[in-house]
Amino acid sequence: MEISVASSYYLFILNIAGIYIILSVGLDLLSGYTGLISLGHGAFLAIGAYTSAILVDQAGLPFMISLIISPLVAGLFGFVIGFPALRITGMYLGLTTMGFGFIVKRLIIALREWTQGAGGLEVSSPVIFGYTITSDWDNYYLIFTFVILAVIIGRKIGKSKIGRAFMAIRDSEQAAEASGINLAKYKMLAFFISGLFAGFAGALFAHTNHFISTDHFDMMLSIYFIIMVLVGGVSSIYGAVLGTLFIVLLDNLFVPLLGDWIHGYLNTNTGDIQLLIFGLIMFLFIIFQPLGLYGMWLKIRIYWRIFPFNPRKRFT
Amino acid sequence: MRKITGLLVILGLLFIGCGKQAPAPGVTDTEILIGNIQDLSGPMKELGAVLPAGSNLYFRYINENGGVHGRQIKMIVEDHQYNPQKAVVAAKKLIEKDQVFCLYQVIGTSTTEAIRPLLAESGTPLIAPATQSGTMSDMSRPAGDLIFHTDTGYDKQTNILVDYIIKQDANAKIGLIYQDDDYGENVLKGAAEAEKRNGVSIQKEAYQRGATDFTGQVGNLIKGGVNNVIIAGIVKEPIIVMKTAAAMGYAPQFFGTSPTMDHRVALAAGPAGEGFIAANFAYLWNSDAPAAVQYRELCEKYEVPEAYMGMYHFYGFITAKILVEGLKRAGKNPTRKRLVNGLETLNKWESGAFPPITYSSKDHAATESVILVQVKDGVQTVITDWVD
Amino acid sequence: MAELNIQNVHMQFSGVVALDGVTFDVKEGEIFSLIGPNGSGKSTLFNCINGFNRPQNGSIKFNNINLLKKQPHQIITEGIARTFQNIQNVPYMTILDNILLGAHKRIDNKSTMKRWISRKQRQNEEAMGLEILDFLGIANYEQKYMAGQPYGIQKLTEIARALVAKPKLVLMDEPAAGMNEQETVEIAKIISEIREDLGITVLVVEHDMSLVMSISDRICVLDSGKILAIGQPEEVKNHPDVIKAFLGDSADA
Ligand SMILES: Nc1ncnc2c1ncn2[C@@H]1O[C@H](COP(=O)(O)OP(=O)(O)OP(=O)(O)O)[C@@H](O)[C@H]1O
Ligand SMILES: [Mg+2]
Repeated sequence: MEISVASSYYLFILNIAGIYIILSVGLDLLSGYTGLISLGHGAFLAIGAYTSAILVDQAGLPFMISLIISPLVAGLFGFVIGFPALRITGMYLGLTTMGFGFIVKRLIIALREWTQGAGGLEVSSPVIFGYTITSDWDNYYLIFTFVILAVIIGRKIGKSKIGRAFMAIRDSEQAAEASGINLAKYKMLAFFISGLFAGFAGALFAHTNHFISTDHFDMMLSIYFIIMVLVGGVSSIYGAVLGTLFIVLLDNLFVPLLGDWIHGYLNTNTGDIQLLIFGLIMFLFIIFQPLGLYGMWLKIRIYWRIFPFNPRKRFT
Repeated sequence: MRKITGLLVILGLLFIGCGKQAPAPGVTDTEILIGNIQDLSGPMKELGAVLPAGSNLYFRYINENGGVHGRQIKMIVEDHQYNPQKAVVAAKKLIEKDQVFCLYQVIGTSTTEAIRPLLAESGTPLIAPATQSGTMSDMSRPAGDLIFHTDTGYDKQTNILVDYIIKQDANAKIGLIYQDDDYGENVLKGAAEAEKRNGVSIQKEAYQRGATDFTGQVGNLIKGGVNNVIIAGIVKEPIIVMKTAAAMGYAPQFFGTSPTMDHRVALAAGPAGEGFIAANFAYLWNSDAPAAVQYRELCEKYEVPEAYMGMYHFYGFITAKILVEGLKRAGKNPTRKRLVNGLETLNKWESGAFPPITYSSKDHAATESVILVQVKDGVQTVITDWVD
Repeated sequence: MAELNIQNVHMQFSGVVALDGVTFDVKEGEIFSLIGPNGSGKSTLFNCINGFNRPQNGSIKFNNINLLKKQPHQIITEGIARTFQNIQNVPYMTILDNILLGAHKRIDNKSTMKRWISRKQRQNEEAMGLEILDFLGIANYEQKYMAGQPYGIQKLTEIARALVAKPKLVLMDEPAAGMNEQETVEIAKIISEIREDLGITVLVVEHDMSLVMSISDRICVLDSGKILAIGQPEEVKNHPDVIKAFLGDSADA
């Protein structure tokens, strides 16, 4: 009995992870593949969420249609943000996208006629072919169907000429241009695609959470997203999946436990040590494991495949 | 593809159980378990530690005197960092993993709004959410029948303050400084109502949560010729606003909503805060109200550190009284339904600090009135009885 | 007639004159070498041809099309591919993918979509890269990541990425730099084969004189942005200005 009731709690966390995975696949294509750092991806999630909530609950559109329109709206916002990205990169782009996050928050508050301002918005359950999705299990199947789709599509993009163009832009703009890649076009495309993924995740987020507010999409969330991608291993879609699962589970299950434990010795709270832990993880990964969790997995796999023959040589 | 389907199924199977539920979760022969979600490490962490401590002071007193129908009250506190998503995760954990009997004192508006669907779905009551948003007692909302609000809403408070100002001076020019979040949203709602009813127009100035510079807002109020300013902030904001105004040679009558009634406002604002009038939905912790007297006695008895004592600690204390009363009325074999029914029998019940509390199956707002407290010679003094 | 015409090109970087009235033609099917001491403007000329630098004066035409009106990414569509002096590649991509980067313009959007559902399409795409790898004799490297590969392999992939675009003219910036003697011979052979087997015109910048002398049809010598001499290897070798300015000190370099 214990297990069954508690399980719903874990399932719920898994569902959150699922929604975030869809977003981080898109963010990986932008920040991991193309090297365009976004510290404002929570805003794209918000745009998808609010658009879908308004389309379904106020304009009366079916959820399935909103699932197509909402990502497009977020994608168009991505397109707009892509413009400054043509000129700036690195930390400056990070700051610009962070600013975008604040602007979107202002926008949501300003459009209170539809968004109810800072008060938050109640959102209906998703309806698919007349079937209303309510339980955590329903949500699980809904979300993870799309997670699988997102991962497949993300990988397809990553392995096609688009993915190659993205990575070339990241590592050598000269080689990219000499190969015929239009930098402006592909940077915009990267923002658009990652906006699509985030908007899609946002629509799912709104309707499976049933309540959204500006507090949901604060700056910390955007920073978590980028950590997920970095920890997972940039420019690997599986890495984004692993990184997201790792961070969400760490955040919701492990950190609270650790927090309680440390609380026994020090007068700190979970949230206080959380940033510290995340910062430490980032640091360790950047120093020791720049290829991220997925890179680690690949190495382990190679190690076992060739074990015991001269493993050291291949391992490093 | 097959690999992925397999993975899905395995992940799914991990979570399959047999799904039976105990008749009254969180209740054993010796204990009642309640859940609390605070901001322990986010923007409002100063309150996060103090509020539950105030509640535990009263629970300790009750527990040492035999508990409620022989059961000890035990409270688990989770941290939501003022993030609605985290609040849902925490509520999910408390309700489904820890199997608490009810939730209590969850802080924040968006955070409480976010857990409404979960409360409704699981039938878990929430007593005394620590937010003065008027939306909490809206019975038409999901879980409206399960949430028992104790505080006078911000919208109502704003209404009362505007009425009070106009009664003093029919030609008053009123200004409002509000936080641009859900709190401010509710204040704006009240302001709009008051404008309509009184036929006045209020000059509204927003600030971002966490702001520390109010020169722009104060400057605008001076330009607008405002002579009565309502500050809908928390603790830091009224202090800075009044000091900024003093520095700019601007001296209107300042008013504040309930969070600004903290005694630290009077202390830190110094001469600039003299005459400041704050609304509150309960008597002061250092007043002669019966609950305040009991509170100070218990603080002394249990050696509560000085730093904890104050409005918020006291708030935790008095809302605990309401919860305990509800638990008593739920009877010897409490269920969630009986807790709800028990609370709905409260009729002009005297908590010793709140105005008389009445709940019914149609109304879960405990009170609609406030007292006004003014800083006189640096001391908070009650200047009105309950006004509504 | 596939021909590159460079007319009176003048390029200056805030005071530094990198190219000063450079004029020459590269004829179809030629192997044309550009030599000169460090900083004489060779790479700058390449950058002018493919649009990275905009000369203040002069004209650059390929098959009578004005290249100066083109964006850098449009140059390859005109049939001009290039390699870089400092290796430019994507370390965490396989060698095959690094090469296919150069095939960007050969793969249209429709086939990209098709590739998502059809294995055949993917194989077609990969075949483009494999063909070049075969040609360069490094076929077994296709699935290896670029990171950590020996310098020679990285240099060859640089060439492969240019060739996979099926250009009419390839610009090679110091293909043999940093290679040992045996590898340099290999590179010389490859350059000849690029012309002979693939029918691609070659404009190459190189410091290794023995390589230049052995493969070039014509050589142009640049010094401080000015042309010292143009002609067949023998002519250039014996040109008094060249001996004085360049060959003299490169002999002991
Ligand atoms: N982007 C630039 N900005 C300023 N100066 C430049 C730039 N590019 C080249 N130069 C200058 O132009 C001159 C020619 O440089 P270039 O790279 O073309 O020489 P090179 O002949 O390729 O030399 P090397 O044999 O060392 O490769 C040099 O003085 C160089 O400093
Ligand atoms: Mg050079």
